[in-house]
Amino acid sequence: MSGGNLRARGGAFFAPLIAVAFLFAATAAHAQKPIVVGASISETGPLAVDAAYHLKGIQLGVADANAHGGWLGRKLELKYYDDQSNPGTAVRLYTRLITEDKVDLLIGPYSSGISQAVAPLVNKYERPTPMPGASLPAIFSAGNKWAFQLLPPATGYIDGMLPLMKSQGAKKVAILQAQLSFTLACGQARLDQAKALGMDVVYSTTYAMPPPDFSSIALAIKSANPDGVVVCSYYPDAVGLAQALHRIGYAPKFFAETIGPAEDQFISALGPITNRIISNTSWWPSLKTHDNAGFIARYKAMFHEDPDYHAAATYAAVQVLGAAVKATKSLDPAKLQAWIAGHDVETVEGMFKAGPTGLSMGFEQYMFQIQNGKRALVWPTKEAQAKAQVPYTGQ
Amino acid sequence: MIVLQLVVNGVLLGGTYILLAQGLNLVFGVMGIVNLAHGSIITFVGVFTYWLVTQTNLNPLLLMPLVFVVALVIGGVLQRLLLEPLAKLGSRRELLSLMVTFGLSYVIVEMAINLFGSQYVSLPNLQETWTFAGLAINEALVVAGVLGAVISGCLHVWLHHTASGKALLATSQNATGAVTCGIDVRRMRGISFAIGSALAAIAGVLLILILPLSAPTADTLTILAFVIVALGGLGDYKGAVYAGLLLGLVQSGVGYYLGGDVEVIVPYLLLIGFMVLRPQGLGQAAR
Amino acid sequence: MNLPARQVGQWIERRLSAPATAGVSGPRPLSIAILVALIGCAGIVPLVTSAYFLQLATDLLTFAALAYSWNVISGCTGYLSFGQVSFFGIGAYATAALVMHTAVPWYVDAVIGAAIGGVSAALLGTIMLRLRGIMFALGMLGLARILMVVFSNWDFIGGAAGLTLPAQLTPVAVYLAMWVAALAAFGLNYFLLRSQWGLSVIGVRDEEVAAAAIGVPTSWAKTVAFIMSALAPAAVGGLVAWNRSFIDPPSAFDPTLDLQVIVFALFGGIGTLWGPALGTVILVIVGEQFWAYLPELQLALYGVLVIAVVLAFPGGIVGVANRFGWLRRRPVAAPAVFPIVSRPPHPAPPGSDTIIEVRDLTVRFGGLVALNNISLAVRRGEMVSIIGANGAGKTTLFNAITGFVKPSEGGVFYLGKSVSDIPSHRRAHQGIARTFQIPRLMESLTVWENTLLAARHGRRKDTAVEQAAWALHTVKLDNLWLEPPGKLSPGQQRRLEMARALALEPTVILLDEVMAGMTRDEQGEIREVLRHFRDLGVAAVAGVEHIIAAIADISDRMIVLDRGKKIAEGVPEAVLRDPVVIESYLGKVS
Repeated sequence: MSGGNLRARGGAFFAPLIAVAFLFAATAAHAQKPIVVGASISETGPLAVDAAYHLKGIQLGVADANAHGGWLGRKLELKYYDDQSNPGTAVRLYTRLITEDKVDLLIGPYSSGISQAVAPLVNKYERPTPMPGASLPAIFSAGNKWAFQLLPPATGYIDGMLPLMKSQGAKKVAILQAQLSFTLACGQARLDQAKALGMDVVYSTTYAMPPPDFSSIALAIKSANPDGVVVCSYYPDAVGLAQALHRIGYAPKFFAETIGPAEDQFISALGPITNRIISNTSWWPSLKTHDNAGFIARYKAMFHEDPDYHAAATYAAVQVLGAAVKATKSLDPAKLQAWIAGHDVETVEGMFKAGPTGLSMGFEQYMFQIQNGKRALVWPTKEAQAKAQVPYTGQ
Repeated sequence: MIVLQLVVNGVLLGGTYILLAQGLNLVFGVMGIVNLAHGSIITFVGVFTYWLVTQTNLNPLLLMPLVFVVALVIGGVLQRLLLEPLAKLGSRRELLSLMVTFGLSYVIVEMAINLFGSQYVSLPNLQETWTFAGLAINEALVVAGVLGAVISGCLHVWLHHTASGKALLATSQNATGAVTCGIDVRRMRGISFAIGSALAAIAGVLLILILPLSAPTADTLTILAFVIVALGGLGDYKGAVYAGLLLGLVQSGVGYYLGGDVEVIVPYLLLIGFMVLRPQGLGQAAR
Repeated sequence: MNLPARQVGQWIERRLSAPATAGVSGPRPLSIAILVALIGCAGIVPLVTSAYFLQLATDLLTFAALAYSWNVISGCTGYLSFGQVSFFGIGAYATAALVMHTAVPWYVDAVIGAAIGGVSAALLGTIMLRLRGIMFALGMLGLARILMVVFSNWDFIGGAAGLTLPAQLTPVAVYLAMWVAALAAFGLNYFLLRSQWGLSVIGVRDEEVAAAAIGVPTSWAKTVAFIMSALAPAAVGGLVAWNRSFIDPPSAFDPTLDLQVIVFALFGGIGTLWGPALGTVILVIVGEQFWAYLPELQLALYGVLVIAVVLAFPGGIVGVANRFGWLRRRPVAAPAVFPIVSRPPHPAPPGSDTIIEVRDLTVRFGGLVALNNISLAVRRGEMVSIIGANGAGKTTLFNAITGFVKPSEGGVFYLGKSVSDIPSHRRAHQGIARTFQIPRLMESLTVWENTLLAARHGRRKDTAVEQAAWALHTVKLDNLWLEPPGKLSPGQQRRLEMARALALEPTVILLDEVMAGMTRDEQGEIREVLRHFRDLGVAAVAGVEHIIAAIADISDRMIVLDRGKKIAEGVPEAVLRDPVVIESYLGKVS
């Protein structure tokens, strides 16, 4: 009897202790539980090279956030899978991240094509997701609420070229575009811009990817005799067309190609032909955007190489998410979406600002030129490191 | 004037195509199979050449003999291991060999991606352009065209004027008959695949100087090579030359007058057109 | 200690020597039960699993539907295709166009998409099916590329930029729709591999020429199979486009889809009923685990798998299982016990006196004149032997009569009417049967099915089973009726060829060296059959022969050919003593 009383009293003593202990453990565990950020990365497949930068920007962003104590007192953890540069696989992986792994936050994949496949998914599951791999405006159109664009829209790529040409007295232009969604959007915007500026489009064509042999197209360009050639291209076609023009000994006074000239091997592949080719970028090391110098320094320390604009875009994505989480003090998707939609955020890429359908409104477009084997920012003039050198001579 | 330049371009382009196709032709001629791994061999060697040249600054043309020999050996080994076992399967041999080379192409491509990356690469050597009577002629294309012609010529001489070559021709025309003449048909098959692979390897070294190559798009080259071989008449060496030139000229013209979008389907349209209308191709030999 | 091993060994031996079993036609009760259980699972799976597994199951069903459809054209019909993704893309775009421009509900869209896929196959087949073997395989590959470029330039449906489709389906709806598509594709395979009609397609695969000779409308059979192979991919393409709410040419005509589908079907067992399902399930699930650990090697592993399967076990998993007696294909329409059918003597139906007539027939192959202005006739009631030295043109004569070779000049007449515009298989329907110099038997079908296939296209096609049994009994192949032709001796193979010809209940039989390779006893049996051909409903027989002794005494008339010309004709005794004939065989005696 006394034993039972003792036990009862013991129970009465221990029960609150145990309860408190549990409560303690629970809060502690909750406090330790990291914020999981999920993404799919093209680690293998044709997009792997660029996607590597995409991943590193996220990794740096997460590391920087953790160096400052994380968000809401919790550390960040990155969880990612390989989508093999395949949209279908990416859709499956994001479904897994959302429904199985139940990650807290999401970041979009690399490339417009894959982002385009994933966007309907994040709308369906109502998760606010920055898309630092998507330049295609169509993704961020009517019906989209939850995906945010973290790159300037494709339609703005190389939009400084025609005004630059016009300012130097050029009147005739040839515009070419690869048959992929991003380059077509870009090319169409350039054609419209030429019309608006009153310039004469003397030759234009699209071409399929993988690119064909350009020698006939080069001849046709030469016959049309434009003052400048603007190409909305990727890498192999940028190389192919530059080579083809060189082979027929023709050099337009102005020569601009997108994407390709930004790759390292463009200069090593073509040598002196690349001198004075102009190309586009959404970010540059010399820009005075928010913490840009710090970003570059920390990236170099972590990865022993220079960052490129893909890394800047994904780093900016982490910055945007961080700002939203800290401002709303929560991880609630609806709250985050509302905040991101309604606020501007300073990032290494410039001012992030989203339009009503998630379209990027804040980022600027820049142009750089290859000058004697080195790249220099030449447009807009106020951020330019060097003056644009004209004419293009092909050597 | 433009027309003349288009013709010159077309002929030079045709030279490149001939280079692309001869290895495939040899294998089909003797073994009766289409080597679907052909494009992957070309691309593998091409991106390997790029990698080696960027690491060591060697002149890529010096690589050709080395690459020829290595590909010869590896091709012979692969034929023995993978294709010879199928030789006795009679009528199913053709399609099963197709499947085996199909699988092999993916293995080679994946190896190339893992070793050298998946992006497009090309080499800046041989960029000079010569002007002759107002026509622009590019050094790289001439080298490829000339080498393509030389290779075709050597092939022709070897096949028609040497004992070993004639043995190979005999095997391609009638394997049973060749056996009764005392020809080691098994060895012939091995040799043809080995040489076919070696030719593909040389093509890889030269093509990386002309156009950007990437491992994931290797199969485009296989298809292009097959189109040329089929157009010329499968196994017909002279036919392949005509076909390469025809394709080069047609593409050159179409690209100029109709633009880039149509240019790229020219090979496939020609292929299907010929297959339906003149299945024996351009050459004389009807298979 | 050794006992279990020995028992296992004995069990394996018993399984390995298990013979093919006939049985009541139609699926076994166990199979039906399994199928019903699987269909039942379909309803439950969406309710109990997570969204991830639902997505995985959906992908699995997608691949199964595609693998079965590939199996139809490449496995069952023997036309290996490297471009079935063409129909996937066509269906995807057809559905997308319907979605964008009409208000039709999604399931109707998918069905219409499938129909459009089928129509495209019918149209494209007129060109593509003229190709054979490697050319067809690579032609389809080229077709897929062409379609990708065409659709990239077609702005009506988005061009190269692609289309974003407005609404979305629930994952459960997609899952159920894929299940239906997979079942439909399976059903088509079942139809081809287990039905009597399906034998036509298998016949085309094994021996297209012989199939035409026994009356199979080969072009029609191929086209139907091609259309069948397009239906499920088109529907699936539409559903995938719906599910992803996005479509563009590279993803619609993605060549890696073809690669994966081919690997799955090959691994499971090409041309079998359960192969595609087994291959898909095993490889998708294994692949899921694998590429998580070795993502850089996925394509290479697929490649290695293809090579390994082709070299080590070309029959796939089902092929391996077959050696143990499992999953064996049961012969189509085979009764449990061989039915002995004998008939009283019955003459051929009456009709014109001249059965086959050849007038001024000339056949040239390039510079070679195989037949030079030949005229001859085969009359009702008679057996004609055609002899001559090698190269005389005997087989070419038969080929011209049966439509496998086009005459350069002159005409072929059957029952008084010209047959020059009638294709081979219809000549067979009308009553001209033939055997081949080198037997062309359908290797993957049993003796029974080879004969049944012919019976289905002959005069007694309504009672084909009975007719086939009668034909086999007549040539005394009863006890070998379930063996594959590969296990028969050469003489038995020729008897099977005869059985096939008889199964057509033809008016005239053309025998091409039927005695070759037969033992004396077998020759004797065939001579008995030929002696009484008039009682078997046949009006006339013409036989090309080298073993003259075997046919001289049972022939009514003998014709001698030499280098494309007729050099003698008459009763056998006279012809065989004719010095011109002797000279053509033996040379001049000086």
